[in-house]
Amino acid sequence: MTIPYLSATSLDLVGLLASAHHPQAGAVVLFSGDVRDNNLGKAVDYLDYEAHESMASKMIAQVLEEAKKRWNLSIALAQHRTGKVGVGESAVVVITASPHRKEAYAANRYIIDFIKHEVPIWKCEYFADGTYKWGGNCNCQEVTGDANKHIYEFDEPRA
Amino acid sequence: MKVQVFASLKEHFEQEFELAEPIQNVEALKAHLAEKNGAAGGILSVCRFAVDDTFVKDDYRLQKGDTICILPPSSGG
Repeated sequence: MTIPYLSATSLDLVGLLASAHHPQAGAVVLFSGDVRDNNLGKAVDYLDYEAHESMASKMIAQVLEEAKKRWNLSIALAQHRTGKVGVGESAVVVITASPHRKEAYAANRYIIDFIKHEVPIWKCEYFADGTYKWGGNCNCQEVTGDANKHIYEFDEPRA
Repeated sequence: MKVQVFASLKEHFEQEFELAEPIQNVEALKAHLAEKNGAAGGILSVCRFAVDDTFVKDDYRLQKGDTICILPPSSGG
């Protein structure tokens, strides 16, 4: 199934999950990145996401294809929000389905890490006190010494 | 040559602007923009650059008709 990789409106998690069953898949993993009501010790009002839309869509398509091959997935899909996303709403969803759960979990973690670290999408956090702050997603740079070199959480060596 | 900037860079530059000056490559473009707007120097040094939806390196030779996108470190998710 092909879905748009970016959406300016609410993500239909239930609908997407319903579409992600496959006769060869005994495991389906859904990750939803939801907007928290706090960050950096401050109350968050909402987030606003911006994307380089053509690049972001291509890169999400590529990572899904890569993950499908690498972990022999039956299904891999992902969708990211653009625009204003309120507390408790889903900003990004990744669904992976595979014959057994190990691959679906590993692939799902890889895909979400890739989307967060590499795909040209940016959040602006709007706080309840009226201030706002761009970006600031990961602390990988403190370890890698390079703002564009990231640490992937899953530890399986690349094939 | 057209330049498009995203996210926090919009606080330093117009979202889209033309550069008439001849600029040889990405590295020179970075230096030129940092000189124009010193406050953007820090963020520019960690940005990625792309032409035609493809990332380009510091030594990419800029062409007259290029639209170059300047992409701050990603913060999606």
